[in-house]
Amino acid sequence: MNKAISRIFVVGVVLFVALVVNLTWIMVVRAGWFYDRPENKRSIAKELKIRRGELLGFDGSVIAGSLRRSGYYYRDYPQGTLAPQLLGYDSVRYGRSGVEQELNDVLTGTATDLGVQSWIDRLLGRKPKGADVKLTLVPAVQKTAQQQLTGLKGAIVALDPKTGALIASASAPSYDPTTVEDDWARLRVDAASPLLNRATQGLYAPGSAFKVVTAAGGLDYGKVTPTTEFVDTGTYVVFGGKVTNYGGAVFGANDFTTALTYSINTTFAKVGNLLARKRLEASMQHFGFYQTPPLPLPRGEVAPSGRYGKRGLLAPDAFMDPLAVAWAACGQEKVLATPLQMALAAAGVANGGRIMKPYYLQQVTSAAGDVVQKARPEQWLVAMKPATASALNTMMQRVVNQGTGVSAALKGIQVAGKTGTAERGDGTNLAWFVAFAPAADPTVALAVVIEDTQSTGGEVAAPIAAAVLKSALAQPALP
Amino acid sequence: MSRRNVELLFLVIAGSVSTMAYVSVYAGRYGEISRVSIIYGLVFVAIFFILHLIVRFVLPQADPFLLPITALLAAIGLTEIFRIKPALALVQGQWLLVGAGLFLITVVLVRDHMRLDRYRYIMGVVGLGLLIATIVVGTTVNGSKLWIHAFGFSIQPSEFAKLAIVIFLAGYLNDKKVLLSIPTHHVLGVPLPATKYFGPLIVMWFLSLAMLVFMKDFGMALLFMSIFVALMYMATARIVYVVIGGGLFAAAAAIAVAIVPHIQERFSIWLDPWPHAATTGYQLLQSLFTIADGGVAGAGLGRGFLLYANRQPVVPDLQTDFIFAAIANEMGLIGAAGVILVYLLFMWRGFRIAVFAPDGFSKLLAAGLAFAFGLQTFIILGGVTRLIPLTGITLPFVSYGGSSITANLILVALLLMVSHRTNVMREGSDLERRRLAERG
Repeated sequence: MNKAISRIFVVGVVLFVALVVNLTWIMVVRAGWFYDRPENKRSIAKELKIRRGELLGFDGSVIAGSLRRSGYYYRDYPQGTLAPQLLGYDSVRYGRSGVEQELNDVLTGTATDLGVQSWIDRLLGRKPKGADVKLTLVPAVQKTAQQQLTGLKGAIVALDPKTGALIASASAPSYDPTTVEDDWARLRVDAASPLLNRATQGLYAPGSAFKVVTAAGGLDYGKVTPTTEFVDTGTYVVFGGKVTNYGGAVFGANDFTTALTYSINTTFAKVGNLLARKRLEASMQHFGFYQTPPLPLPRGEVAPSGRYGKRGLLAPDAFMDPLAVAWAACGQEKVLATPLQMALAAAGVANGGRIMKPYYLQQVTSAAGDVVQKARPEQWLVAMKPATASALNTMMQRVVNQGTGVSAALKGIQVAGKTGTAERGDGTNLAWFVAFAPAADPTVALAVVIEDTQSTGGEVAAPIAAAVLKSALAQPALP
Repeated sequence: MSRRNVELLFLVIAGSVSTMAYVSVYAGRYGEISRVSIIYGLVFVAIFFILHLIVRFVLPQADPFLLPITALLAAIGLTEIFRIKPALALVQGQWLLVGAGLFLITVVLVRDHMRLDRYRYIMGVVGLGLLIATIVVGTTVNGSKLWIHAFGFSIQPSEFAKLAIVIFLAGYLNDKKVLLSIPTHHVLGVPLPATKYFGPLIVMWFLSLAMLVFMKDFGMALLFMSIFVALMYMATARIVYVVIGGGLFAAAAAIAVAIVPHIQERFSIWLDPWPHAATTGYQLLQSLFTIADGGVAGAGLGRGFLLYANRQPVVPDLQTDFIFAAIANEMGLIGAAGVILVYLLFMWRGFRIAVFAPDGFSKLLAAGLAFAFGLQTFIILGGVTRLIPLTGITLPFVSYGGSSITANLILVALLLMVSHRTNVMREGSDLERRRLAERG
């Protein structure tokens, strides 16, 4: 009997040795691997013990504060939730998104460029302290933008054309980052995608708002002038197909300025074919299409605009027949653009043809109180010649003064803009308005898109643009 | 040094270590070393000092290491429970007191385990009854039906059934061991005992299958089937029972995986938890993350990251089934391996008692209890470290839970009785032996 008992004991010993070997494997050999798994939120949770830097608006007010409760820091939003899709959430369970993710090392004080004091702290092994980030977002304008989108689906992006600073970025429907953990299950399956940042990720057919790009190309390549004459019969037959006007309208004789003013498709289709595929796509590239706008956000949170096929973004030299070129020149066919891209296009016209790099970070103040980083506006692209920009500026003023965009007009301030209405084929429209103001010396450029509407861009998007422009131009200071 | 003085010495060591551990956790939590924390440690030491005195008077020749090991494990458990959910530590302390009471009752009432042999069938019925009662009136927690809610308490009857069934099997198999080991015929060249002696094996197999299907618990079924097979083997020294028993259990497990969704789920999580990281695999993966984060030396008691800001533990059920993850996180590989070593030490003492025991019943009882204790430890530790599929079973003495700590204190009492009798029979005077014989 003792022999059998001893054998069973040996089996027990073997099992226990296996436990220790496995434990060593987990705790020593694979420890780092486990720590780095994306499912492992321990690193995020540990950061809760660090005072997370605050996100401030351009006016210095706190947008996302850091509140201390029983040893842990929590995000607090004293002004309500402003731009939650852009600023993002910071959740132990579900990770981070947006600016919270992009600037995490700054906000947790672990970035390497936070000044001498942070180096000394690190050398002494002290707990890091988060640095505060002042954003270019102007809370008052942001609030206006969000109010304008109440009950709607869509996005608004407003920026300073001279610097590229983001003034407002709204996306609706929205969510509350303070309750994101509780709401997660619902938010994830919500067909309206409240977590999606429509401003930078939403890809929409730009419709006639895209005519700004086509016009810039036509003028820049010398294919047309603002006074070039065209004749519209309501239909432009090309390559076995036809291009028609919105609502079946017939305009007769029109010059190029009039064509933009009333958004005449047949004229822009002709201009598209005057440019031909190569130059049309070159113009798009000059505006930043086919590349991801350099707004620093986590991977995937800024989408490139361009022509999209079934498997995503097409190459700029993908085949197009003349009918496709004609429709693409009117912002239809396979062309998709984000509100950010369209705002940048408007900003390009506003800024004499030069598009500045979009940014949202105004300055970083370390925990020690030193300004360790400051925004330096940089040029991104040259979209067109200054003369072209100037001509297009005048043409876009006409849109607001007597064309499809009259409801964007502001008292005492000259607004320049372009409407867009993309029919989705299911009875609903995408309504666009891109604009800048004051036209003579623009300080704000924006793009508005409204989904699932029965109205046109001039009817629904233009008044919203006017309200946001008005709010922005009433501010004492803009970035 | 006498056995009892050795025991006292080690109890003092275990007591000081645990008081220090508790003070360390208390300091980590409240940032101070207060009188309260030291008093708490002293109350704990007092409980085990009383148990020591009982043993000193009733079972003076019993093994001197089991009680200090128990104290050390209980202290680690209480400290970690206090660390995770302070309110529960007080409840667990009360259960420890209840367990100490049951220990006292067992030692005083039973006095000599040989008496239990007479009640072996009652024990068998009690054990079986507890399991059947769980199946019939039990409540399902976390997918497994292991609990009975009665009189405001939740009892896990399987913890007690484990003891009753080991007592029954030790008596029964000791009685039938000769018959069970004589081959009467050959099947495919393998000598086999008379078919009717396979009866108990078949009964036990159906029991474990019933546990799998109705309790939906892989761990308990594995534990009971293994206890039976191990005792069968120890009684007869015939490997054929292990092979057949193992094969039968594998078949039962395969059936269960096929027809019980809960077990199927546990099994697929074990094979690959990553696709289920946010749902059913969450607990296991968080356990692995928590263990891996401990590193070699650990974060230190009271300093590990075990609670979220809202005071919820990082692993669901951290204070019960997953308490080892907390230990590994705060005490590191050194501490965690140390705890495993302490369990191994306990098991070794148990088997040692069995080897030296003078009669078959004592041998089988001690070895059966030690094996049950060791295997239960392995099942839960293997489960939380993904060595084997995870099942909800407590870590003896350490996990939060009244049934577990009381049942295991009774287990210690039984082992101490066996070892006391063994040592008296081997080394005692004629008078002592006679007195012991009369007692039985």
